[in-house]
Amino acid sequence: MSSHVKGVFNHLDSLITAIDRLRKADFDDYTVLSPLPRHEIEEAIYDNKPSPVRWWTLTGALIGGTGGFTLASLTSAVWPMALPAGKPMISIPPFVVITFESTVLIAGLATLAAIIFHCRLPATDLPIECEDPRYSSDRFGLVFHDLEGARKEEAIKLLHDAGAEEVSCADDEDDATELVHEEA
Amino acid sequence: MQNENAVTYGLVNKEVIQPLFKPSLAWAAIFAVDLLILAFGVYCWSYQLEWGMGVAGYTPPVFWGVYITTFVFWVGIGHAGTLISAILYLFRARFRTGVYRAAEAMTIFAVLSAGLFPNIHVGRLWYVYFLFPYPNQRLLWPNFKSPLVWDVFAISTYLTISSVFFFVGLIPDIAAVRDSNRNPIIKKVYNMLCFGWRGTDTQWRHYMAAYGFFAALCTPLVVSVHSVVSWDFAMAQTAGWHSTIFPPYFVAGAIFSGCAMVITLLIPITKIFKWENYLNILHFEAMAKLCLLTGFILTYSYGIEHFIGWYSDNPYEWGIFVDRATGQYDWIFFMMVACNCVIPLVWWFKKVRTNLWGLWLVSIVINIGMWFERYNIIASSLSHQFDPGSWVLYVPSWVEMGIMVGSFAWFFMWFLLFVKLMPAIAIAEIKEMIKPPLSTDTEEAA
Repeated sequence: MSSHVKGVFNHLDSLITAIDRLRKADFDDYTVLSPLPRHEIEEAIYDNKPSPVRWWTLTGALIGGTGGFTLASLTSAVWPMALPAGKPMISIPPFVVITFESTVLIAGLATLAAIIFHCRLPATDLPIECEDPRYSSDRFGLVFHDLEGARKEEAIKLLHDAGAEEVSCADDEDDATELVHEEA
Repeated sequence: MQNENAVTYGLVNKEVIQPLFKPSLAWAAIFAVDLLILAFGVYCWSYQLEWGMGVAGYTPPVFWGVYITTFVFWVGIGHAGTLISAILYLFRARFRTGVYRAAEAMTIFAVLSAGLFPNIHVGRLWYVYFLFPYPNQRLLWPNFKSPLVWDVFAISTYLTISSVFFFVGLIPDIAAVRDSNRNPIIKKVYNMLCFGWRGTDTQWRHYMAAYGFFAALCTPLVVSVHSVVSWDFAMAQTAGWHSTIFPPYFVAGAIFSGCAMVITLLIPITKIFKWENYLNILHFEAMAKLCLLTGFILTYSYGIEHFIGWYSDNPYEWGIFVDRATGQYDWIFFMMVACNCVIPLVWWFKKVRTNLWGLWLVSIVINIGMWFERYNIIASSLSHQFDPGSWVLYVPSWVEMGIMVGSFAWFFMWFLLFVKLMPAIAIAEIKEMIKPPLSTDTEEAA
């Protein structure tokens, strides 16, 4: 029978120790929950691999800049004004303003789209074990989603040894959570 | 932060979230008075819509008056929020953390207030869409070489990106409010507002990357938006406006007034909500120093404007600067100089800039002075143009003043609602400033 295992940590260093150990033990289906962003957590899980969000921002900036300049230029071209003294139809200095603004606008909106896509927002499909009000207050969480048998026992031991304040597990079929360890 | 060791993650949640939702009698009274003033502003606008622009005090050739003055004033106020949240974020200025959420909110509400004025100023509100580029069905494609069209792009972009930056910053804190509340309806609403945020490792990883990019994108916007507003004037041939110093001068003025408004708003809030742990004299002093710096740039700009007017040997240019100081608008000029250049100098004394009353009162004086500065630029130049036959005295009508006062009520309405519904201090970022709980600390304590 598969079930999830949940560890609640009071201390950041205990959480980092747990992440290091579980990576060494080849666990991969887990989620870390935290009330604040900590570089230590990102480093421990992702080895500082940069987020793909930057590509979204760059693409948005390029599309926005090109689009803004094209809009201003084509508008001038299809609706020419009687320009005296040989002034250019497509004039770079004034169009730089439009180009700049549309670059920032579309890059910003693309970055917002990146957050929504990569953070999987709205986060309606997160497992129930990730919902704990303490994770937005003063505790860190480490949740294994689908474990059974010996792996489950190994995960419980790992969380316990790393210094989890509380370790609990629950079967997917019945939602009752069984507390397997709590710090005195 | 006052005492970083005494503040814990849990305490931050408790102290920041506690004042939310329960309106005190004082808050309700202030809010009611604010709504009354706003209602008067709405009445003035509807009166103008009914009777036309004749009820404004416009006197040909002065067709830019209180509305454009107040528009520029609000755009300027909106500057400091993004400056504090984006630029100071990139520079890792520690004093930013306690201040920036309220400053960002101020930015959004100030730009919302500014956004009212083009609508009011065009008179026929139902044609306001002429400002935007839409297909040429009425032979009215906008002229992209006009600074007024740049302004539409600049303000729209600024409002959009600042709002997104503000809201993205709020997401984890809204989740904290959701989790601390027991009311199922509030929980549901706040869960929707934070998109079900849980603070997973994946969420934080992409969120922080995106947040950095937002800060990087907002930084040039801070400089660009008021530069573009300044070009509304500087691109014109009007004497007193046609100057290359306008963009830096306007940007410095905007930061000056915006930081002053942050001080004006945050001092009472800190006292009322008892947030001295997160906002204290060090934050306000840092803001006052920023005001001193930008105030000096502004004073220099006033001086150099007059010097170049004289040095240019152009009678029209020099004439307007002499007229500003000695003509029919002289009291406005002296109000501007007194409020922006002279009175803020008291902040050079540490005793004054570390005294809450000293900070609060001078910040209000600066805000008054900055409104007068914009009035001085706009009204005096237009009423004293090249042909002496066109010289007039523009006096605002009660309708214009009513709408201007109403815009302040509009701004404060949003701000009052904000401080009751959203955490006005960034919970997650305050926690980043605190030393994280470590097992070694517990062992040492044991």
